[in-house]
Amino acid sequence: MAVVVETKQLLETVAASLVAGVGMTFVFSIAIWGMARFAELSRNDRPLAAGASVTVAVLALLGTLAGVAFGIVVMTNK
Amino acid sequence: MSSDVIMVIVVATALAFDFTNGFHDTANVVATSISTGAARPGVAIGIASMLNFLGAFISISVAATVANDVVNSEVITPTVVFAGLIGAISWNLITWSFGLPSSSSHALIGGVVGSAVAAAGFNAVLADGLVGKVLIPAVVAPILAFLTAGLAIGLIYRVVGRQRPGTVTRGFRYGQIISGGLLALAHGTNDAQKTMGIITLALVANGSLAANADPPVWVIASAATAIALGTYSGGWRIIRTTGTRIIKMDAAQGFSAQGAGAAVILASTHFGFPLSTTHVINGGVMGSGAAKRLSAVRWGVAGSIAMAWLLTLPAAAAIGAAAYGLTAIFGSGALGPVLVTLMGLSLIVAVFSRRLQRGSPVPAS
Repeated sequence: MAVVVETKQLLETVAASLVAGVGMTFVFSIAIWGMARFAELSRNDRPLAAGASVTVAVLALLGTLAGVAFGIVVMTNK
Repeated sequence: MSSDVIMVIVVATALAFDFTNGFHDTANVVATSISTGAARPGVAIGIASMLNFLGAFISISVAATVANDVVNSEVITPTVVFAGLIGAISWNLITWSFGLPSSSSHALIGGVVGSAVAAAGFNAVLADGLVGKVLIPAVVAPILAFLTAGLAIGLIYRVVGRQRPGTVTRGFRYGQIISGGLLALAHGTNDAQKTMGIITLALVANGSLAANADPPVWVIASAATAIALGTYSGGWRIIRTTGTRIIKMDAAQGFSAQGAGAAVILASTHFGFPLSTTHVINGGVMGSGAAKRLSAVRWGVAGSIAMAWLLTLPAAAAIGAAAYGLTAIFGSGALGPVLVTLMGLSLIVAVFSRRLQRGSPVPAS
């Protein structure tokens, strides 16, 4: 099998797919969680906690955008 | 003169394949966005069309490797390429008419393999290339996307499960626009290059281009335009299958399927392990459904799709071989390709006029 298919490439693809796919969706879901918490805490008049939540959301969103930018770089450099 | 006529026919057929590739594979990119209401059908298809066009210009590094890895390049002639394209287009139209998302790349490879075998026997096939570059990736792609999307949606539900559904749904709908855009760009980068590669292969075989030459600008521009126009025309029947018939998905599932699909395609691109976008996104859709509840996946529909995947290579190869045989009856001149093209066009008009009347857009949920 190693002759026909590059085992190393296959394993690297599997590992990177799992890490990137699960990682990116996790980071984006943190952003959604942050926004949802921000909305709820703002309604409950808790500005400090709301501020912390929106900070988490923005950081997670920036992480997601960085991941997308990395994906585009991967495409352009192949 | 005769070889010039054949070349014109080959280029036109290749662009026709590219068009079918666009509307056939549109579903991979937009189906989940449309079915979860992340984007209106027209908007989703318009964006996918533009990004497919842009994607075609991003890189040309794999353009010349389409058939070289699976067929002995010495047997490739413009007529072999033509017959292979007829096999690929025919299979794309057959699977489209049944609303089944099958791989256009596999149809192209199958068609070329079939016509090459008809032209020069089984020695024309590079078995190692066929197994390593086509068959093993065909098994790996849907399983990998299934697992990635399944793990991703499990994690998403844990993180946002207790939050207000309205905010969560809106957030993932926005996310789908990004993940869908990334998928469309990746699709344009991968699939438009296959048409560029096949036209370049025919130009080299005809002596119109030096071996190992990059695709000319007119080839890149015409392939980009054909796939973008095909995408814009929208393959509604397959969009309906991928978007609503496999699972009834929510926005988070749509995002995880697209996100997992984009991650798997980009990882395979980065490490040089070729995977089909069709297999990846449909595996992702099934994974995001099965992780929520196994019975959420309509396994009968999934089975039909898997059957179409299994049949793609042999069926496209059989049609490609038949097209080559039919062409060869009329000698090595242009008459064979001209007659086969006319017959093909007649069949396409007949099938389209019947099927288009039955197809209708998928409403956003």
